[in-house]
Amino acid sequence: MTPSATAPQRLKEAGPDPTLRMRGISKSFYGVEVLHRVDFAVDRGEVMGMCGENGAGKSTLMKILSGIHPQDAGEVVLKGQVVPQGATPRQMQRLGVSMIHQELNLLNELTVAQNIFLCREPVSASGLIDFRKMNEDAARLLGKLGEKIDPRRKVRDLKIAQKQMVEIAKATSFNVEILVMDEPTSVLTERETRILFDLIANLSAQGIAVVYISHRLKEIGDVCHRVTVLRDGYLVATKEVAEVTPKDLATLMVGREVKDTRAADFAGDPDQVVLDVRDVADDLLRGVGFKLRKGEILGFAGLVGAGRTELMEVIFGIRKPRTGSVLIDGKPVVIRNAMDAIRADLGFVTEDRKETGLVLCRDITENANYVTWQKTPGLFKGRRTTAANTRRMIERLGIRCTGAGQNVSNLSGGNQQKVALSKWLLSGAKILVLDEPTRGVDVGARQELYRIIRELAAEGVAIVVVSSDLPEILSICERVIVMHEGRVTGELTASQMTETKIMYCATDVGAGGEHGGS
Amino acid sequence: MEALEAEQVSNPIVDLAKTVWRDYSILVVFCAIVLVCGLAAPRFLNPGNLLIILLNASIVGTIALGMTIVIIAGGIDLSCGPVLATSGAVLILLQRMVNADGASTVPLPVAIVACLVVGAAFGYLNGLIITRARLPPFIVTLAVGYIARGLTMYSCRGATIMGNNFPGILGNGRLFEIPIPFVIMLALAIAFHILLTRTKFGSYVFAVGGNENAARYSGIKVDRIRILTYMLVGLCTAISAVIEVSRMAAVAAASSGSLYEFEAITAVVVGGTSLAGGRGRVIGTVVGAIILGIVLNMMIMLNISPYLVLTVKGGVILLAVLLQSRERS
Repeated sequence: MTPSATAPQRLKEAGPDPTLRMRGISKSFYGVEVLHRVDFAVDRGEVMGMCGENGAGKSTLMKILSGIHPQDAGEVVLKGQVVPQGATPRQMQRLGVSMIHQELNLLNELTVAQNIFLCREPVSASGLIDFRKMNEDAARLLGKLGEKIDPRRKVRDLKIAQKQMVEIAKATSFNVEILVMDEPTSVLTERETRILFDLIANLSAQGIAVVYISHRLKEIGDVCHRVTVLRDGYLVATKEVAEVTPKDLATLMVGREVKDTRAADFAGDPDQVVLDVRDVADDLLRGVGFKLRKGEILGFAGLVGAGRTELMEVIFGIRKPRTGSVLIDGKPVVIRNAMDAIRADLGFVTEDRKETGLVLCRDITENANYVTWQKTPGLFKGRRTTAANTRRMIERLGIRCTGAGQNVSNLSGGNQQKVALSKWLLSGAKILVLDEPTRGVDVGARQELYRIIRELAAEGVAIVVVSSDLPEILSICERVIVMHEGRVTGELTASQMTETKIMYCATDVGAGGEHGGS
Repeated sequence: MEALEAEQVSNPIVDLAKTVWRDYSILVVFCAIVLVCGLAAPRFLNPGNLLIILLNASIVGTIALGMTIVIIAGGIDLSCGPVLATSGAVLILLQRMVNADGASTVPLPVAIVACLVVGAAFGYLNGLIITRARLPPFIVTLAVGYIARGLTMYSCRGATIMGNNFPGILGNGRLFEIPIPFVIMLALAIAFHILLTRTKFGSYVFAVGGNENAARYSGIKVDRIRILTYMLVGLCTAISAVIEVSRMAAVAAASSGSLYEFEAITAVVVGGTSLAGGRGRVIGTVVGAIILGIVLNMMIMLNISPYLVLTVKGGVILLAVLLQSRERS
């Protein structure tokens, strides 16, 4: 595969008549200013990166652009025309603004073509929907993106990357002048990401302006021409990507120096195996096993669909394997459900905290204590112990909140993740599985989570980190196991790890090669 | 966030008012309703009248307490009315059993316990089918309701069965002037409030209704919690049956408890519990049930045609739900 999205070359400043100019945009919610006189411009055919911590104001700025929120002050100018204050999303769409949200907005039960042409279905002479034309048009749109998806398939049956392609096809089916993409790669594999980057380059060549929001700073360097950094509602800088390194960007985002660390090899006792998983097999997994030692941080790398999450679900008793055994401290254990796992002192911070990690409509206290309550006898929660435990967790993990009674739905991603983690820390889990622990977490909080993970390991907790983010694996894992299509395809210690080596094992190139599972 | 806190510190009275409104808006609305009703019809505030309202709200209110828990856990129970008739019929049939001298063979407490067991058993059946077969509660409880109603009709031959000098104390008695059915409902409400806010079970109920998957991944035995919530509403229904039988001394196989499940759901919803699950309060349901009683009472006070009762009730539901959705957004 050739590296896509060649280094961007042009543009110092937005031209005199850019596709989009936002001038002096201010916005407050409930008396809290979230945007402060932001000036932002994107040229025709330009790919503009946008980064900033959660809560920096990126989404609000883009929601103002797409007509979801009205601005308090300032004006939006599209191709030299001032957009009237209070334009609706529909009007903005007609003016050429399309936005692809992080959580995709597709209707699962409808077909690809129906989704693309929702509410604009072509009608035949008889007044009914002209499905043939609709499917043909959809196929043509998808074809332009280089994607072969049958437009008659239901969206539910598509892979997540394909769903995203459908979103993009939908966005380009309007007369799009400016396309906003919010964290488009957070659910994509490396290869899918590269395809997306080619596509963005293609759109840019057609003169479409793209705003690319991402937490992955390296990607911004790969795909964007310029980049804008927001911090606490202020536009901190707009720079040529050629002039900044990802590290510079991180520093701009958090307002202080960010250190790039590499993990060292595991220094603990190699014989103190706390978790020994052997020969797990089912429809997807094909005989997977590994050992985890006390105080070790073990990474699981691989592409989406490699079976890493599924393996963890088997260990945690959520998924039933055909074969396989689990030994904890050398003794075989039978884990049939989450409660069995909890009794064996296992903890599992899941990949999707909104779906499986947290009860969003409940407060921090409740979410932090669910597991502990089950481990302790008694009918009542014990207000004092519960409150003390929760306070301890809030302090220990640095959860930023208005109080233990705050609903977790109102917390930022990083703080939500800390609450999800606190549930297991509080219950005294000795083996922790963290599945994509920093997904949707901003840079500052990410470093904090890494620090917490290292501290826990130092205290003797054995930790598995499943991550699709290679820099993350490199910076915290003392050993990494790489999986591909349900098999272990490689194992590397910290000193052996490089992104290339891991990717080599994680793709078909490396599969079938050296087998390193222990 | 910081600015928000600063604002709160700067004005404690506004802050207090906000907290009161957020947590107890239903009580504020309730007081307003009572005030307005009192102004519109001074007779409304007559203690005797108020006590009658409480009495009339109690039977459905008791069912609504159990319904609150089921709904918070993300379920619903449409079998309450028929189950009330069935458990009531069991109570009367047992109580009527006499020997040659005409004395009861089954002591009343035993008959009452049997009645409660029948109610809880139907709840167990509901919960078991819903969790094991993974079917929607709406249709399962509807079907179980039909089955219960049919069984009642069969065992009573479709007729109304009368008790054998059934004691009326539980239905018509007063404790310090307060109707005993309302005392029972209030006691249950307090018990359920403690259950929901202080016990682990209560927290799990909210967790199951709020996010079933997260609850399961946290080791919560989701199915067991679900079944228990249905058993609780079954138990509440049977308690209502005891009160109803004590008041009427009879059970009509075809019509006893008819539509009670919907009245209970109405009380729950008017009381601010979300049908989506995960949110709700027992105190809201108590107030919701009383508000429905007031509506009925006021229509009589104001000489509005009784044929319009359902129309007005419908309006009250829409108004309550509308206000709550405004509040949330």
